[in-house]
This record gives sequence, C-alpha cells and structure tokens, in this order.
Amino acid sequence: MQAAAGRARGRRWEERVLPYMLLLPGLLLLAGMLYPFFLGLYYSFTNYYLQYPHLFKFIGLQNYLKLLPEPKFIYSLKFTLGYAIVAVALQVVVGLGVALLLHRRFVGRGVLRAMFLMPLMMPPVITALMWKVMMASTKAGILNHCLSFFGLPPVNWLGDVNPSLVSILIIDTWGNLPFVSLILLGGLQSLPYEPYEAALVDGASGWGIFRYVTLPLLKPFIILAATFRMMDALRIFDVIYATTVGGPADATMNLHMRAFFFAFQWYHMGMGMAYAMLLLGLVFLASFILMAYWRRAAEQVTL
Amino acid sequence: MNPQRSHASSVFPVVARGLRASVFALGIFLVVVWTVFPFAWILLTSLKQPLDVIAAPPKIVFSPTIDNYLGIFIGKQRGQYASTRPDFPRFFLNSIMISCGAVLLSFLAGVPASYALARFQFRFKEHLAFLFMSFRFAPFIAFLIPLYILFQRVGLYNTYSGLILAYQLISLPFTVWMLRSFFMEVPIEVEEAAKIDGCSWWGVLTKVILPLSVPGMAVTLILGFMFCWNAFNYPLMLAGRQTFPVTVGAIQFISYEEVLWGQMAAASLVAVVPQLILSLFVQKYIVRGLTMGAVR
Amino acid sequence: MRNRSRWLVGIGIVIFAGMVVASMVAEVYAGEAALAYYRQAKINWRAYEGQKLTIGLNKHPYTESLLPLIPEFEALTGIKVEYLILPEQEYFTKLVADLSTQRGEFTVIMTGPMRNWQYATPGWIVPLDPFLNDPKLTDGAWYKLEDFFPGLIAANRWNGKSGGGVGEGPLYSIPVLSESYIVSYRKDIFDQYKIKVPTSMEEMVEAARQVKKNAGIDGIVARGIPAASTIATGFISGAKSYADGKWHEIDENLNLRFDDPRHVKFVQLWVDMVRESGPANWANMTWYNAMETFAAGQAGMIADADFLAATYEDPSKSKVAGKVGYALIPPGPGGATYSGLWTWALGMSKATKNKEAAWYFIQWATSPRTLLDATIEYRNYNPSRVSVMSNAQVQKIMGGWANYLDVVQRNLKTARVGWVPNPERVRLGDIWARALQEVYFKRLSTEEAMKRANAEMESVFKEIGLKK
Repeated sequence: MQAAAGRARGRRWEERVLPYMLLLPGLLLLAGMLYPFFLGLYYSFTNYYLQYPHLFKFIGLQNYLKLLPEPKFIYSLKFTLGYAIVAVALQVVVGLGVALLLHRRFVGRGVLRAMFLMPLMMPPVITALMWKVMMASTKAGILNHCLSFFGLPPVNWLGDVNPSLVSILIIDTWGNLPFVSLILLGGLQSLPYEPYEAALVDGASGWGIFRYVTLPLLKPFIILAATFRMMDALRIFDVIYATTVGGPADATMNLHMRAFFFAFQWYHMGMGMAYAMLLLGLVFLASFILMAYWRRAAEQVTL
Repeated sequence: MNPQRSHASSVFPVVARGLRASVFALGIFLVVVWTVFPFAWILLTSLKQPLDVIAAPPKIVFSPTIDNYLGIFIGKQRGQYASTRPDFPRFFLNSIMISCGAVLLSFLAGVPASYALARFQFRFKEHLAFLFMSFRFAPFIAFLIPLYILFQRVGLYNTYSGLILAYQLISLPFTVWMLRSFFMEVPIEVEEAAKIDGCSWWGVLTKVILPLSVPGMAVTLILGFMFCWNAFNYPLMLAGRQTFPVTVGAIQFISYEEVLWGQMAAASLVAVVPQLILSLFVQKYIVRGLTMGAVR
Repeated sequence: MRNRSRWLVGIGIVIFAGMVVASMVAEVYAGEAALAYYRQAKINWRAYEGQKLTIGLNKHPYTESLLPLIPEFEALTGIKVEYLILPEQEYFTKLVADLSTQRGEFTVIMTGPMRNWQYATPGWIVPLDPFLNDPKLTDGAWYKLEDFFPGLIAANRWNGKSGGGVGEGPLYSIPVLSESYIVSYRKDIFDQYKIKVPTSMEEMVEAARQVKKNAGIDGIVARGIPAASTIATGFISGAKSYADGKWHEIDENLNLRFDDPRHVKFVQLWVDMVRESGPANWANMTWYNAMETFAAGQAGMIADADFLAATYEDPSKSKVAGKVGYALIPPGPGGATYSGLWTWALGMSKATKNKEAAWYFIQWATSPRTLLDATIEYRNYNPSRVSVMSNAQVQKIMGGWANYLDVVQRNLKTARVGWVPNPERVRLGDIWARALQEVYFKRLSTEEAMKRANAEMESVFKEIGLKK
C-alpha cells in the first residue's frame, strides 16, 4: 500500500514538476538576455541619440508613427518579406532534392557530404566578400569571365537594381543550402522502417512512396528547417552590408539594414531600435505561423 | 526490395534504371560544381601574390606562393612590413575554445529541455517551446549595445565565459528544437518497453532516447558548432583582442590602403579545417540502420 | 586505419601548437639607442609607471608601425599597453560603443577632423592643449609642435559651432598623416592617344570618354557605394573646386544647399561621366574596388586619395607602376583647386582614467622620430611633420613616383577639410551618396534628387535641435 502510494507520488512529481526542472537550465541561460531585449525595447520608445544624450526623452510610439508611413519603410518591408519567402521556398525545395541525393548509398558519400557542408563553414562576412570579388563587373570578375567562355554576355551582378536582388539570393543560398539539406538528411536517416514495409506490402510505386510516406514523415523537419531559414532570411544582414551596402538605389535595403544604419551609422538608437523591434515582430509572426504548422505535422507523424 | 533500399530509392519516380543513374550522376555533378567553385577560387586566391589577385582578366594560371599562409602564421610577408606577433593562431585557438564551450553548454542544457518538450505533457509546454525559439528572433542590432553595456558592468566583456554565454543566443534555441524533433522520432514502443522493464525517466533518456537519436544529435552538433564558429557581430562587440575568434580576425586583412585578399583567403581556408574535421568525423553517425530494429 | 588518422591529428596538433608558441614569443628587445633619443626630452617618462593603457587603432600602415615599437614605449615609461586593431568600419562601431557608454576601455584613439565633430559634441574626447602646454608633461622644444604642417593642426581644431569653426578652438587630436585628393591617370594611354590632362570638369568628362573609346578600358573609376565614403574623396573635392571653393553644402545659417545650380551642374557632369565611361558596377564600388581596378590597369583615371600612389608605383602590387601621372583635381573657372583633406590623428577619450599616461603615449607616438620611422619603414604617407617630409630618404621615395611630390605639395597649399563641420556629417554623406545613386539610375532628375536631399537633411537638423 505504501509502495503504491509512493510510486504514485513519484509519478505525479515526474509528470508535474520534472518537465519544468528539465527546462530550467536552458531557461536560466537565456534569462540573462531578457535585460538587453527590454532595454532595446525601451530605447525604441525614446529619442535616444548617442551623440545628444541631452535630448533623451520618452516619446512613446512616436518613432513607430514616424517610420510607418514612409515609402522607404514600406519598400523595406516588402523587400524583407518577399526576399524571405522566395529564398526559403527555393532553399527548402532544392535542399530537399540534395538531401535525397545524398541519402542514397554510393562510393564517396561520406566525403561528398562533408564537402557539401563546406559553405556553412565560412563566416557569412567572408563569403559575401569573396562573392563580391567574384561578381565584379570589371574584367577582374571571374563569374563574368566564365560566362564569356560560354558566349554569354556579362551580368551586372551587384551594380544594377534587379540583378543585385538575384545576386544576394545566390550568395545567401550558396552559404545556407547545406543547412537545409543536412537537417533533412538527418530526418531521412531517422525515419522508421514500418511505414515503408507497409507501403511495399500494399504495392506502392517509388513516387507514391515518396509522396505518401516519405514526405509526410519528413514534414516536421522540413518545417523546422524552413523556420530557421525564415528567421535568418528575414534578418539577413552581413551579405547585404558587405556587397551592396543597401544599394543600388536602396534596392537591397531590408529592415535589418535600416535598423543598422539608424543605430550604428547615424547613432540614432531610438529609431534603430524601433526598426529592430518591428523586424522582431515580423520574425515572431512568421515563426508563430510556421510553428503551428510544425505542431500539426508532428502530431500527424506520431500518430 | 528491402525497405531500406526502397526507402532510399523512393527518391526518383523515373522507371528506367539507366536514366535514373544518369540523372543521379548529373545531380551529384551539379552539387559538386556549385559547392566547390567558390572554394576553388578562394584556394587559388590564397596562393596568389597581390599582383595576381587583382589581375584582370582573372588569372587561373600563375606562379603560386605560400607567403600568404606564412604571413598569417609567422608574420613573414614579401616586401611588406612584418606585423608583430600575428594574432591569427590565437584567434584560431579562441574560436575552438569558444565554439566547443558554447556547443557543450547548449547540449548540457538542451538535452534535458528537448526531452521534456518531446516526451512530457504539461501546461505551458508549447508556450515554453516557443519561448525558447523566440530568443533567436531578435536581430543582433537589438541586442548588441545593451549586451555590451551589460557585459561591461558584470565583467563578462572580453572573456571566454561571456562569449560562451552570449553564443547561447545562437545555439541553444536551435539545439533544443532540433533535438526535440529528433527525440520525437524515437518509436514510443521502445520507450514503453524500457519503462515496463523499470527504467526511470533518466534511464529512458540515456538508454533509449539518446542512443536512438544519434543521427539527429550528430546533425545538431555539427550545425550548432558551425553557427557558433561563424558568428561575427557578437564577438566583434563583446570580445577584445585576446578573445577575438577567427571571424573577426579574418576581417583584419582589410587595411586602410589595401586589402590583403591572399591572406584573408588563407585565413578563411585554415579556419574551415576544424569544422571539416568535425564533419568528417561526425557524418558517419548520420547513418540510418545503426539503431533501427531495436524494437525487434 | 584509425591509428593513422589519430597520428595525423596528433601531428597536426603539435605543428599547430608550435606555431602558436612561435608567434607568441616576445618581440625585439628595445634598443638602447632608441631609448636615448626619447630620454632627451626633459620630462619624467617614468612618472606614471605601472599604469595600464588600452589603445584602439584602426588598421593602417601607421598603426602597423607602432606595434613593434610598443615594447620600446613600455621599457621607456613602465606603462603597460594593450591594443586592439580593427578595419575602419568595425573600429568605429566598437569605438562609438565605448565612447558613448564612457566605459573607458579605449584610452588613446584614432580619430580625425570629421570624427572629432561627432565626438566633441557630446564631450567624448578631451582637448589636448592642456597637456601640450604643461611643461611637466611635454617638452615643447623636443616635441616641436610647430614641426607639424599648420594646415593639419588647424584641421584638428574645432570651436564646436556647426557651420564653421575648423581651425579655431581646442586641439582634439594630433595628426599622424595627411591625405588629400588628386587625379591619378594613365600617362601612357594619355600620351598614346594624345588625350589632354583635364584642367576642368568638362575636360575630365571628355578625357574619360576618349580613354574608353580608344583604349577600350573604363575611362574613370570611382567609389559608388551609397555611403558617405563615396563623397569624401574625389567627389567632394571636385564639387568644391567646380564652384571655386565658394559653394558649400551647408551655408552659414545652416541651410542645406545641395540644390545650388553650381552643384547640380557638377553632379550632372560627375554622374554622366561615371555612367558613360565608368565601370558597370559603379554602384557597389568601395575604395578598394576602385583602387584595385586602376592598379590592374583597367581604368584611365581615378580621383581619390593621393597616397594610393605608393600602391600604384609598387610593381609587386600594380600593373601600372611607372605608367601613372598625377594631376590636381580639375579646378573651376577661377583656376584654383580645392581638394579635401583628411588626417588620421591620435586623440584621447574623456573616460580615460589615467590621462597623463595616455598623453605620454600620444606624445611618444607622434614624436619626430616615431613618425619618421613610420614613414620610411612602414609606408605611412603623407607625413604630417615638415621634418619628415623634407627628410632626404622620404623625398627620394616619394620623388620616385613620377610627378607625385610636386602635385601633392601644390595641392596641400589649398587643400582643406572638404566638409562643413556638423555632428551629422556621416548621415549627410549617406544622404548625399544615395542621391547620387538616384540620379545615376535615372530615378530622379538631378534637381529633384538634390532638393530631396536638402529636405531630408533639414529634417535631421531640426530633429537634433541644431535648427529650429
């Protein structure tokens, strides 16, 4: 009687308290970050200029009200969102394809996988600088040089409005595609056998297996990879700053760049933080939506 | 057709085996070219003298030199001033210490957290999970100056521990969510079996979940390590010369009157080596079949 | 197999560790002769023994020259020096974070005229005159402040009033070099196709056109990124010269004057020139893109920093060594050139706890001998001291660069800081450069772009209370 009660109490502790205890170390580590966040949030409600501390005043939503109607903000918002959606969609689709490629057994698979990860091993700043050198439109640019071998005309990769958008996408994809592929590869390697056995018994074809077995099982990982990429694509900064600095003609000025210019170039902390908080809100929204999809996909998988 | 092969060959819906093989080969070829081309360029640049680096049209054939590599390690440069005590080896060491420490800490805190989120039902579960994710939302701008102020005040500025803590912003949410997803993939029957055998939550974690999630943990480890290694903006602000990692170090080749592209390329390639070693070592754990069939 | 890989890893670690140790071995022991020179100064170098300084420097030949000499300074004074070097952009980001929070991490800093306007306004840096005039801290006869080119010292003085005041007021930093702006051109191409060296902006446009037509390379290469640095060098020099030095972007009443017809015309000429005869990706060219393009022989002209001649004339770095000619920025109708001017200079942060020790460092680092060393051994150009400039060896080096010496000495007679003092100079420059891009991509007419730049900057001035 005693033992059963003890076990029941133990189980209640396990169910009620233990999860929180397990989460505690992680939460504690991140708790320290709350102060900087709230400080940044507070600054966004002030007109804090680093150089003019005597002007410091709490001004409520004025920063936000000032920037929202500006056409430059609206463009930045559209560009940030549009870029993120296109980039994530492209990277997930292509990333899935590559993951499937690397999932098969073939000679040299290990080396190829490690090699394929290499773009992730370069810091985004250096990647951007190297690509900038390769994409030069002067005769020193290797990319245009290669194009000329195929008889193709040179492209003004970073110096013209529209091509620069594509170039940023190329640089970003080159650096981050392995990320998506690796997550999906890990997912592929973790899938259970049973559904496949069942499908084979049912006589399903290759494509059918892919569409009705592999894809649904992979969904949580696809959405997870998409979420991380979305968070990073919305906030892409280093690549743009190192190549076009927001140009040409403000074409690649996304919200993060705007925040940077206000906060770190013009020392207008208040407005910079306002942009940063707006961007944060955007990331929050996107992740919220994607996480809801993740939950649904994860539930379906564990069924 | 055994399930393992069908699993793998469900990739291509094409019928003919020959066509499938050539499509596959083409895919691999494209992947290799796309990945390797910029690295080939960086490698060539690291072997070039300054004159060849800026040459127009670009030079594929040139007389190589290892001066750039010598320059970053022992400061010897041809016809140039010799910097005192090139800092590159120290930056390299810093990167190793900080990245390893950050990933270790993330795993120590992340494994229990992911386990809780994956296997337990409790109030606020999804809220807390989302909270973990939310620390990765903020653009670094929002954090940089407040973090700088905070670190200076509590004496964490320019320290390994400070940077390792700051890096948790980058790696902990990622670790938690990745491990959560992989833990959830472990078949519930195995766990039930272990529990019937009398395992506590700790036993289930160490004997069932962790061994069966090795591929996932390997992936999380590699990616987490790379994220930490390649962070730039945080260490720029929160570290001093003694603790700069290689990412900040590599940018130092931009001088006021010239850019030492050769040395920058050399430094970047050398910085790739630890990550490459780690990947080669860990990728063999990203193999299915190591753990499947445990139920039977 | 596993043993072999373990072996390899082990060997790799040993080699790597060896390199780390080798690179950490202490530097050259400070020679006695060097110390004797500094000890001539009638001050007590060891007065602040045991204190610690952290200096923040941007990556530059001058700072490279200081590094091996730091043990010398430490032996001389007993002051421990820690330093931090970053490229310009990252350096300023970190510096401002420190200055604005007054944490005192950086004591001696690299700054310059325009930066001083930003830092002096909130009082982040301290004037150096009290230190200079204190006989206990400075031996005036040994240090010789008068040895500096007067224009450079004047550039580092500011009385704190926006709209003017350069050359008056406290001295915020000691210049370590001078940088003015000239046109470097391909003498071989100009001679071959009988192209006239431009003496006006219109002629420059024509010359660029001629180079492109005849030699098949870009006639002109220039910075183009949408940032203040694009304006700072050849562009602002040309703009001021075009108006005979009589037009400024801000007038005495702090009104913005971008839309002045003289400037509108200049912008038109400049943008048309780079669009027609410049590189296709002008819009994302940083200073090093432009410099490297010229050094690779792919451009006919570049209007930028003068000291880049050191690179152009170096056969190990440039394909055009010996083929370059130098000329003044094309003057306006009045015939005189008004080049911009920049000096990197050493200043002191207000949050410094041991200001006298910091002053000792500045004094040591800008003494005649240190600066001479910096120029001869480490290619720090152009010298900021007359004695260094007239040094025989220096004259020989600079004299070897075609007509560089003559052009620069003429240039320095009329060169002055190109910008109008105000604490929002960076933002102004960013707005200015963006306006150029709007004109370049034909999104706005020149007049419209300049008017909008006016309006935007006006609102900034109002925001910060500089104007009502």
